[in-house]
Amino acid sequence: MTPLATGLKGRSELGVALLLGAAGVVVFLDANGLVTPYSKSDPVGPKTVPFIVAGMLVACAVLLAINVLRRGKGEAEGGEDVDLTHPADWKTVLPLAGAFILNILLIDWAGWVISGTVLFWGSVLALGSRRYIRDGLISAALSLLTFYGFYLGLGIALPAGLPEGIL
Amino acid sequence: MDVWSSLMDGFATALTPMNFLYAMIGVILGTAVGVLPGLGPAMTVALLLPVTYALEPTSAFIMFAGIYYGGMYGGSTTSILLNTPGESSSVVTAIEGNKMAKAGRAAQALATAAIGSFVAGTIGTALLAVCAPIVVKFAVSLGAPSYFAIMMLALLAVTAVLGSSRLRGFASLGLGLAIGLVGMDSVTGQRRLTFGQPLLADGLDIVVVAVAIFAVGEALWVAAHLRRTPLHAIPVGQPWMGRSDWKRSWKPWLRGTAFGFPFGALPAGGAEIPTFLSYVTEKRLSKHPEEFGKGAIEGVAGPEAANNAAAAGTLTPMLALGLPTNATAAVMLAAFTSYGIQPGPQLFESQGPLVWALIASLFIGNLLLLIINLPLAPLWAKLLQLPRPYLYAGILFFATLGAYSVNLQAFDLVILLILGALGFMMRRFGLPVLPLILGVILGPRIEGQLRKTLQLSAGDPAGLLGEPIAVGIYVIIAVILLWPFAFKLIRRNTPVAAPAGGAAALAREADDAVHSNHDAVYSDHKEQP
Amino acid sequence: MTVVVGYVPTPEGEAALTQAITEARKNNSTLVLINSSKGEAAVDTRFAPEGGVQDIERRLAGEGMQYVIKRPVRGHDAASEVLDAAEEHKADLIVIGLRRRTPVGKLIMGSTSQRILLEADCPVLAVKAG
Repeated sequence: MTPLATGLKGRSELGVALLLGAAGVVVFLDANGLVTPYSKSDPVGPKTVPFIVAGMLVACAVLLAINVLRRGKGEAEGGEDVDLTHPADWKTVLPLAGAFILNILLIDWAGWVISGTVLFWGSVLALGSRRYIRDGLISAALSLLTFYGFYLGLGIALPAGLPEGIL
Repeated sequence: MDVWSSLMDGFATALTPMNFLYAMIGVILGTAVGVLPGLGPAMTVALLLPVTYALEPTSAFIMFAGIYYGGMYGGSTTSILLNTPGESSSVVTAIEGNKMAKAGRAAQALATAAIGSFVAGTIGTALLAVCAPIVVKFAVSLGAPSYFAIMMLALLAVTAVLGSSRLRGFASLGLGLAIGLVGMDSVTGQRRLTFGQPLLADGLDIVVVAVAIFAVGEALWVAAHLRRTPLHAIPVGQPWMGRSDWKRSWKPWLRGTAFGFPFGALPAGGAEIPTFLSYVTEKRLSKHPEEFGKGAIEGVAGPEAANNAAAAGTLTPMLALGLPTNATAAVMLAAFTSYGIQPGPQLFESQGPLVWALIASLFIGNLLLLIINLPLAPLWAKLLQLPRPYLYAGILFFATLGAYSVNLQAFDLVILLILGALGFMMRRFGLPVLPLILGVILGPRIEGQLRKTLQLSAGDPAGLLGEPIAVGIYVIIAVILLWPFAFKLIRRNTPVAAPAGGAAALAREADDAVHSNHDAVYSDHKEQP
Repeated sequence: MTVVVGYVPTPEGEAALTQAITEARKNNSTLVLINSSKGEAAVDTRFAPEGGVQDIERRLAGEGMQYVIKRPVRGHDAASEVLDAAEEHKADLIVIGLRRRTPVGKLIMGSTSQRILLEADCPVLAVKAG
């Protein structure tokens, strides 16, 4: 391993510093691009606060990077159902995100009843349930119930989509 | 404005059959969701926000009052029965509460927690009703410079005082402020950070941000580290207390309330410190100090009362000044803005009936909680058998539904996912989420006050110091920010290891108790040979 | 000889355990007790608490018999755990407790007992609660 690679190992937190820095630069560039004539009624203008925020983000990025290189470490958050003894389980998280994205793609076209079913079913499977049929029935029931509940109870019309004539 | 008559008007509004029904639904929903492992009060309120969309604001806030106290109650039930405190504020309750439950006194632990919450909540709400108008009267006399200073104090205090790393707190605050910048500038109409995307012109919906950070981020984070072992819940019957339990509980309830309310009302005061203080005090004053660590009822009664009194205290700056001091208040404030209600000192003027109906329904919610939940405790305990896949899939499902139903556009779901991923990353790397959410909510308002201040002083920065109260607050901010450096200097100059704050040592002691408790529970699951 | 019993802390489970002890004593078999949890829910009432397991151990030791107690928590359902144990210990008999179920309930929930009955390689003794 090169010295650089060894230095970076276990320092994934540097990515956070990078993100903060990038956010700072974006905020700065965006504010810098605003064209505002000086106005007496608004001496601060729309640029000042973004500049301060950008400065703060970049400063945090630099300090965090130094902190991490000096072996500083953010403490991962615990919780009732959180078991920090095992590493992040990407085999659960990525399919979850997949179900979520599928829902975004489907919701306007296929409607909430279908996309919501996909979301819940996919999430339950991703989280390790293996009772496919029962899970599917529950997912469909939940989506239908929320669809009608929102429509009749709250007056919010979720998209009906493909099964429009039936619902 | 006469507090008493306004409050009576509030009760008249809150007690109409429909509103009473909403209060009841709020209490039941709040408790049910609060009992579920992994769902704290902030997430509970965020997830249930969309349910209130179709209601008129008054009914919606009456329901919120129920959800707020219900969620708190549900959390303490779980920590007593399972020894899994979901919130840092119920850590202390879990220490003695779970020991009591293990010793077969679950019914008494739940009863003293419920009745103590009721007592503390009622006194706390009464204090809120008395204090808030006084704060308002004082606040309306303040000008823009003082407001600016007060909001800065709220932001910086939360960022610098809470959490284990200030640096990470400020990083989180910076991200929140940046998110708050997105959209049209209110003064000049310039678009900031919209990247040419017209859907961003109105800014990010605060409800979407709250749901993303609290619900989606949390669900993804838990999913990545899901505990796969079952815990043993202690079976409960009907909560009840005997005469000696009452005798040992009532003083801790009152003392806990006295600790909780003022801390809750302070920016960055929170509920952790008063619950620890209450625990330590009860341990000192108890006639049965030997029972502490083995299930002393005082150790449940005091901290639980402190926790609920702090919850009521939190509402004082939120209603009187529009300043949220904890996550739950921040989400409730988000709800205000999504109804087009401007939080701040003018709230009591412009929305008087709504505010007093909210305060009245806090009293009602508290009472309902006691009447409904004591008999229902065994049923709530059953909720813990919900399989985790359903629980976390359900959080994602309802978070999506809630965020989508704000504007009915799929674009919000993209934002939800991106910010959810941000919430995940923050939990992974120990960035506290509270400064971010406060930055999003308070950032735009701080900028508004800043521009107003400098407009009045024609661009002269000295205008920021134009009011004596503002100067005083800047001194407080300076003390908060410089405190750790001063502390280091003092320690360097006093070589003898002076007790580094008695509270810290005691907190550590209590912390150890929780951990050893945890070990005891989890060692049960080792497979037998 | 080995007898495998699927145990849950319910009347059916107790009946199965009592029956399994009787069967094991008949020809001095080793008793293998399985009490598993998928570990899915925060609370699983079918997973015996520590105290309950100690009581069972005392009872089995009192009977003076050879026994193994297994409490696997690894995301597998109860049927798989019992079948796995039966295979591993080369069981001569599996004892399980039966619950009353409506046809609809069975359709939705599936049946642990049914899977064991169908898939086991050895005789299965199904007991109902007294």
